[in-house]
Amino acid sequence: MIQFEHVCKRYGKTTILKDLNFTIPDGQFVVLIGPSGCGKTTTMKMINRLLEPDGGKVLIDGKDAGSMDRVELRRHIGYVIQQIGLFPNMTVAQNICVVPRLLKYDKERCDRIAHELLEMVEMPYDKYAGKYPNELSGGQQQRIGVLRALAGSPPVVLMDEPFGALDPMTREVLQDEVKKLQQKLHKTIVFVTHDMGEALKMADIIFFMNGGGIEQMASPEEMLENPASDLVRSFLGKHASNNGATAKIETFMRTNAYRVRKDRGVLECAEMMARNNVDTLLVTDEAEHYLGVVTIRGIKLWGKGLPNIETLIVQTPHTARIGDEAKESVDYLLESGDDYVVVLNADDTIAGIVTKTSVAKSVATTLWGDER
Amino acid sequence: MSAFFATYGSMLAEAIIVHVLYVLASVAVGFILGLALGILLSRVPRWSTVLIPVVSIFQTIPGLVFIGVLFIWIGMQPATVIIALSIYAMFPVLKNTYTGILGVQPKYVEAAKGCGMSSIQTLWRVELPLAMPTIIAGLRMAAIYTVSWAVLAAMIGLGGLGNFVYQGVSSNNNTLIIAGAIPAAILAIVIGALIDLLQRKVTPRGLKKEVGK
Repeated sequence: MIQFEHVCKRYGKTTILKDLNFTIPDGQFVVLIGPSGCGKTTTMKMINRLLEPDGGKVLIDGKDAGSMDRVELRRHIGYVIQQIGLFPNMTVAQNICVVPRLLKYDKERCDRIAHELLEMVEMPYDKYAGKYPNELSGGQQQRIGVLRALAGSPPVVLMDEPFGALDPMTREVLQDEVKKLQQKLHKTIVFVTHDMGEALKMADIIFFMNGGGIEQMASPEEMLENPASDLVRSFLGKHASNNGATAKIETFMRTNAYRVRKDRGVLECAEMMARNNVDTLLVTDEAEHYLGVVTIRGIKLWGKGLPNIETLIVQTPHTARIGDEAKESVDYLLESGDDYVVVLNADDTIAGIVTKTSVAKSVATTLWGDER
Repeated sequence: MSAFFATYGSMLAEAIIVHVLYVLASVAVGFILGLALGILLSRVPRWSTVLIPVVSIFQTIPGLVFIGVLFIWIGMQPATVIIALSIYAMFPVLKNTYTGILGVQPKYVEAAKGCGMSSIQTLWRVELPLAMPTIIAGLRMAAIYTVSWAVLAAMIGLGGLGNFVYQGVSSNNNTLIIAGAIPAAILAIVIGALIDLLQRKVTPRGLKKEVGK
């Protein structure tokens, strides 16, 4: 358990932290987030006494950190930094075993630790233990950085923007791995970031800091639902508004579906399908109301000699209306194996269709911006 | 040629041995002093703003003058030469040790501290190994300079390859000058090569590629 009691910190005349009070229970994944200069890194560095408070106390398991030997204290608190900082003069195994060696573990025990940890991140010992940091990719390096922090089995691990320097793909993978490791090993993790997506994904509790104080302390769900201030809301940004649970069907819809009137001839429809390379047409009545669909299969089986397609119309099991939640229809698409869901306006005319491709396109646009 | 060796052969061999001994002794002493002072200075970088300029100025005093002064003070004995050469050999090592340690990227020091290394452990396990290529470069410079400075020993009658050079100059004998100069040059090259070899041996694989990048 980590407690801050009335902690203050100043650099010269600038106050960095003012009267900070909070408790982090064991086994929690706590993310400190906020605008730059809000004091999040300062707060974290006070836990392993890389910085000392000017006033107040930091308690670790009820004991004043200020009264402990700081070198000894740091050996029992893992530390991961943004710039990774693997020692370039040491191999992967030596880097992992830095803390165990400082703790005077014997060689066998160190080797075992290196083995087990490398195993955990699926980097085979035989292949990687003897490599030097500059022979690894950035993602692999930071994996080792995390393992180095875990090697002395510390109950608490501090991470200072650990994935800030990695590309988005690698970052995702490492986020998942660290979250998994934390759940498996029940560590208390204090994690500093400025990326709200990362905070929402990783945290049990988010501490939103601003101007040296805590603006809001809440679980990700709660923060999304009730941001305490406009600043928090602006940080939540797209995560709050584009929350999948409230997205409407029209977000995922395409409007250029092929449609025909019910009094059209069978051959004309077959030709239209062939020309546009589709196997289904949406059918409407004279007033443009949606009636159902006609498929190429229906035309082949029963279409011979019919004057028009009216009798070939089939109903689709699932249609949606503008304004519906998207989730239901997307789930249907994924589960049923159907290729599309028809979306209707309030007056039963056709608004468009949702297909797996249109969903994927729209998701991609939300994630990476409109690049078309 | 053979006549030269018949006359001067044993003298030349002796001069080379004396010269090498001067170089080895003073470089060894200078290296240890330079390393120790460089480390001390790197602990208190504030002092360096005063000390490094002082050292630089001292370094510009001609060796000739310095040996002369020491000669007056201590007298004609090998210690005079070794003290003078040691101090000159110390400068490049001191400077390179200091800049090498300060040049270690802060992230490594922060990581070391965060892992729970004491400052001594940080120095031994992280800072010195990372500064080692720079320190050895200082050693190389010190050794090569010392080979040429050791020629000055002859000035106060203490032998070494300088004997040949001085005798040659005073008697206008070019053969003698060359007989002193060529072995001195070869010595400098050989010592430089040996230190390069050492450099390669002490640089861990993990650092080599970084240098090559």
